[in-house]
Amino acid sequence: MRLLARSGGAGVASGGGFIRVGAEEDRQADERRLVRQAQAGDLSAFEGLYRANERRVYALCFRMSSDPSLAEELTQEVFVRAWQKLGSFRGESAFSSWLYPLAVNVALSERRSRRRRTSRVMITDDLTPFDVPRPGKRPGPEAGFDLERAMAGLPPGARAVFVLHDVEGYRHQEIAALLGLAEGTSKAQLHRARKLLREALGE
Amino acid sequence: MNCAEAEDRLDDYVDGSLPEAEFQEMELHLAGCPPCREQDRRLRAVLAQAAALPKTLSPARDLWPGIAGRIEGQRRAPLRGWRPIGLAAAAAVAIALGATLFPRPGPPVAPAPPPGLPVAVSPGSDALPEVEADYARATTALLAALSERPSSLSSETLASVQKNLDVIDRALAEVREALRKDPDNGELTHMLVATHRKKLDVLRRVVRLSTQL
Repeated sequence: MRLLARSGGAGVASGGGFIRVGAEEDRQADERRLVRQAQAGDLSAFEGLYRANERRVYALCFRMSSDPSLAEELTQEVFVRAWQKLGSFRGESAFSSWLYPLAVNVALSERRSRRRRTSRVMITDDLTPFDVPRPGKRPGPEAGFDLERAMAGLPPGARAVFVLHDVEGYRHQEIAALLGLAEGTSKAQLHRARKLLREALGE
Repeated sequence: MNCAEAEDRLDDYVDGSLPEAEFQEMELHLAGCPPCREQDRRLRAVLAQAAALPKTLSPARDLWPGIAGRIEGQRRAPLRGWRPIGLAAAAAVAIALGATLFPRPGPPVAPAPPPGLPVAVSPGSDALPEVEADYARATTALLAALSERPSSLSSETLASVQKNLDVIDRALAEVREALRKDPDNGELTHMLVATHRKKLDVLRRVVRLSTQL
């Protein structure tokens, strides 16, 4: 396979194919072809699908884990599992619509297994940005508010719901199905996350 | 509406999912409550930042080589599962057969390469089918020689030989199938030739035994 550009750039060539940005119909047709080829065992076609989705999946994994290194591992795990499960993708929706819930589940299952292995969860290298829960400490000025860093300090469950609802645009019904929660629990987690972030924004 | 109620309803208010009557109550409360108005402002600021976050991020390194490596590793995984079943069984049979039928003192000795037949083939070589055909011809000749002496060995011994040769043949079929999927695999190529050699060696010893009786 000849790589023309990363997925955020002009496009990606794979097995003679080419995903063009800005030509949605062509992109969808190319995606369907790559999926068919990958389902037939063509790894270079699967690389085309990877290149088109890696940055979105990595962003999701990073925000769910708040750990760049872990996010890289999770991203790799997502695509390995996607390859394994590719036969179950029927092409009735966009490949990304099938892939992202898989990414959410991978990120969450990793969090669950890590929680089982150790009660201590490493959130980021720098734990200072989210100091809101400590009474009496004043956060930085609102203008310098770094949402990514504040999100990293959220409790994992609340962070996952916030990322899915307010960053990725999932609805509570979808989140509840993905996370195996009651819809009310998803709303409660979102309220908790938003409240902590409001506090982090500054008083 | 008091401040606690306003706090409970703030998410739905900002998300636009509050029923009309409660929405109006919320508007009235916010108009007269600066602290709650401040919470409303902060939440909207947080949500604006969340919506503005980049939807894509680049990992610090290319993750594809690791993904491709794991997938390729899994593709080979069935071969790892196959080996102990097929070839190990064949080897065990050949060894057991040798110990039972042809007891001899000293440590086990690897079968000598049959004269005129190659003992090794380069992985992916076009010559492999021809080499297999050579071994098949040699095997057929030995079986023909054995069939000419039907009474030289007991029926139990012949049945045991046949049964174990069937096991080796199944192992050969498994190796061929694995090689079809991975034709450049040197280990598999070596195993295929070695298994042919083992089968031929067993047959030669059976024939030799039949002529000595």
